Formats: sequence, structure tokens, C-alpha cells
Amino acid sequence: MLNVKDIEVAYDATQVIFGLSVVALPGQVLCLLGRNGAGKTTTLKAIMGLLPLRAGSVSLDEVVLSELAAHEVPRCGVAYVPQGRRLFTEMSVAQNMDIGLMVSGAGRATREKVLELFPRLRERLTQRADTLSGGEQQMLAMARALCTEPKVLLLDEPVEGLQPSMIALIRDVIIRLKSENVAIVLVEQQVDAVLAIADTVAFIEHGRCPETMAARELQNDASQLRRYLGV
Amino acid sequence: MDFGPHLFLAMLEGAITAAVLALTAVGLSIVFGIMRVVNVAHGEFFMLGAVLAWWIATIVGGPPALGFVMALVFAPVLTGLLAALADWLVLRRIHYDPERTILATIGLLYVIQQATLMTFGPEARPVEAPFNQRIALPWFEWGADGFALIWPWGLGTTTYKLAVIVAAVMILLALWVLMTRTRIGLIMRATQLDREMAVAHAIPVEKVYAMVFALGAGLAALGGVLTVPIQQAHYLMGGDPLLLSFIVVIIGGLGSVVGTVVAALLIGMSDGIISVFFSPTLAKILATLFVAFVLIFRPQGLFGQRAS
Repeated sequence: MLNVKDIEVAYDATQVIFGLSVVALPGQVLCLLGRNGAGKTTTLKAIMGLLPLRAGSVSLDEVVLSELAAHEVPRCGVAYVPQGRRLFTEMSVAQNMDIGLMVSGAGRATREKVLELFPRLRERLTQRADTLSGGEQQMLAMARALCTEPKVLLLDEPVEGLQPSMIALIRDVIIRLKSENVAIVLVEQQVDAVLAIADTVAFIEHGRCPETMAARELQNDASQLRRYLGV
Repeated sequence: MDFGPHLFLAMLEGAITAAVLALTAVGLSIVFGIMRVVNVAHGEFFMLGAVLAWWIATIVGGPPALGFVMALVFAPVLTGLLAALADWLVLRRIHYDPERTILATIGLLYVIQQATLMTFGPEARPVEAPFNQRIALPWFEWGADGFALIWPWGLGTTTYKLAVIVAAVMILLALWVLMTRTRIGLIMRATQLDREMAVAHAIPVEKVYAMVFALGAGLAALGGVLTVPIQQAHYLMGGDPLLLSFIVVIIGGLGSVVGTVVAALLIGMSDGIISVFFSPTLAKILATLFVAFVLIFRPQGLFGQRAS
């Protein structure tokens, strides 16, 4: 269980997150919903240790991640697929996956398993990452993260700008990961995409999480969506 | 001596300059490429390599070859360790901020230079080459009996000078293998391409930086060790390699290793040729002028990529 507790985060002098708390459970999808600039991406970066916490803590099971150096967090089983993918562009597909495999020291078996999820990547192993199509790049960003054998997967707008068939594929992968007991934290703008796969929805507003509710309840009652997103 | 043999000799001298320059400049280039640090103290690492080579050769004693081999191994290693220490104590603490690292490395330049003066004194120190046979080089001419090979007086080189070229090529190949074929090279390139994502994939970026800074300094020191049997070691000898390395790195394209090697060949050869026929000062003037033109017409360098 990933436990984010009362965290406060700032970029230099500008505080962005004010005492935010969320919990992500294994085998469930927690979705962070909120307007632009509400602090969703910042929350993910803070979980990864890429931004220092001013207060609060992040822990995974018994391990307090926020006490570790940033580069030790991925070894504890947290993987991050950032917005805009941010692949190692000048490297090949295989090398990008190798970087992921190095995190956990995982071997061939993991690599094979990940390539089964994304067969398209197998055909392009020696190709440079920046020559892939947008959808393939997103697959590679997820493959790189999955090569670390994560217990928690942080996904920042994974289907942004993708065609429907890609969106369906990525949704299938998320559902498969759920069945393998991975905890997934998803940041997403498209409400329909969210409601179909999320278990819990945490609304983020002005760097806080004022309300968390089950996705099922939201489907019946959309008033909260109007309130926090204006849709 | 006729023009032909003279030019041949000048090109050979140029190739030796180019070989040493390529090593030194590639060191500067990878430090900038991966760490985004403009290392003004780079020439001092070259100097340290040369001075430590003299020191090690003197301590070891015995036949010149033994002292030189020990120097070739230990001078770059010691210089690298010192660079890693400087990174840990200074650059890491100013968070590799581009402007502050320039000032910090200027300080480092003087610290290293003066510490060397205080430790080893102001004298120029020779190191004996491990082998130094003279080889006469042939030239051709069309005489009365047609084509013939001749050995003009003064056209020659030494085995050591040729060995410097071979050694530089081998070291650069080894570096290429390290960067493209090994796990450590992959980690260094990942750090270069996206520092934050490297951290998010468990890469200890600060350790990588210390290692890269040590590697860059070690390459400069290797250049110094290879130079010292040709040109004596002296605490002020770091200026020229620094200037030429900067010229080469800017012409080649900041952070592009291939561009750096090509530019080192270009500048080294022209430096050799112009020095022989005109004067070394003119060679530096022309090289600096060339940099100015590159910066005006192709600011990203010959092989650099435009920032997207």
C-alpha cells in the first residue's frame, strides 16, 4: 500500500501542495482528477522523490520512501511514466528497456513478459526511441517502467494525444496489471477513460485532496465532477 | 629540404598534436555533454598528468620503460581521483549550476596550479621516453631513372612519436566501447539525455557525475603523460591544451564526441603545418579565428545538434 500523508511541496518559494493525503491499494487504480495546475503531476514527482517534501511523508508498506535518496525510490518498487513520455531519445528501444531492467536487476524473463504485453516493441528493438510513433513511444515508456517490476505504477496522462486503438491497448495493460496486484496511480483528464477503469477517484484542488470517492458512486452521481472539474 | 618532404614532416607533427589534443578535448567534451559543466580547470588536469608522470617515473627509477608504464597507469588514475574529490567537495555543493561551476573551476585551476608549484617547484621536468629510435622516412622523386625512393636528410621521426598516435587511437576506441557497449556507458548516456528520468530509474546521478568528471580529467592526464617525453612537464603547461581543447570542442559541437575527434584532427593538423611553415602563434590566431566563424555561421558546431 502506498501511503501519501499530509505532504507539502514547493518549487523554491512557490508552494504547490498543501497537506495532501492519498492512499493507493494493490490491485486497484487510484485516479487523481483535477484541473490544470491543481498539483497532480507535482504529487507524482514528490512520490518519486524528485521534489523534496517540506512536510509529510510517503511510504510504501513499511518503507518510508520520503526518507530515501531519490534514486533509491525506484528500487523499492515505484515506477513512473511521466507526462510527455520522456524516453531516452537517442537510445534504442532495447536500451531504454535495459535501463528499466537495471533498476530491479530483473532478467530475461521480465523482459519477455513486458514484450508480450507490447508485441509492437519487439519488432523495433534496435530502432531509436525518438523515431517511434507517439503510440509506440507511450508503449515504450510503460515498458521501461514495467521492466522495473513495480509494486506501484505512477501514470501521468498515459493516453494523451493517442488514437483510440492505442488507448484501448493501454487500458488493457492497466487492467492486466491490476490483476497482478500492482497499485496504479493514474493522472488523467478524460473523465470517461477514468471511470471505466478506476476503483477510487481522488479529487485534487489547489494542492489539496478535499474528497475521495469510489468510481462506482461517481458513475451514478456526476455532481462532484461538475464541482471539481467543471464538466 | 624540398616542399614535399617538409609538408610530410609538418603533417606528422600535426598528427601527434591532433592525437594528444583529441584525448584532452574528448575529456572536456564528455564532462560538458553529460554534466553541463564548462571545466576551465581542464588544462590543469593535463598538466597534472605530465607532472605526476615525472614524479612517478622518478620514484620508480630503473629502466625508462618501467617508470613510463607506471606513470601511464597511475598518473591518470591519481588525477581522476583528485577530480572526483573536487567534484564531491565543490561542484556537487553548488548543484552543478552552469555559471557557478565556471567560477568554481577557475578557482580550481589556480588551486591546482599553485599547489603543483609549491609541491614540485617551478622547474621544467623531463621524462625519458620508453623507446625512442629514430626512423628515417622515405620520399619519392622522379630522377633520370624514373621513380625512385630517397631518404632526405632531416626527414624522420621517432618510434615514440608514432606510438603516441597509436596509443591515442586505441584509447579513443576503448572510450567508444565504454560509452556504447557497456552498462556504465548506458548509465552515463541516460544521465546525459534526461537527468530527472535517470534518477527515476535508480541511477545515482551524483556518483555518475563524480565518475564522469574523473574520466574527463583522466583523459586529459593521459594526454599529459603521452606528451611529457616530447615536451617537458611544467606547472604552467596547462594553458595551451585548455585553449586548444575549447577551440576543438566548440568547432566539433558541444558534447559531440565524434565532432570533437574530427575537430581535433583538423586543428591539430593545421596547428602542426602552420607552426612548421609560419609560426605557432599564427596557428593559434587562425584556430581562434576559425572558432569565431563557427560561432557566427554554425553556433551548434560542425557536428552539434541544434537545441530543439
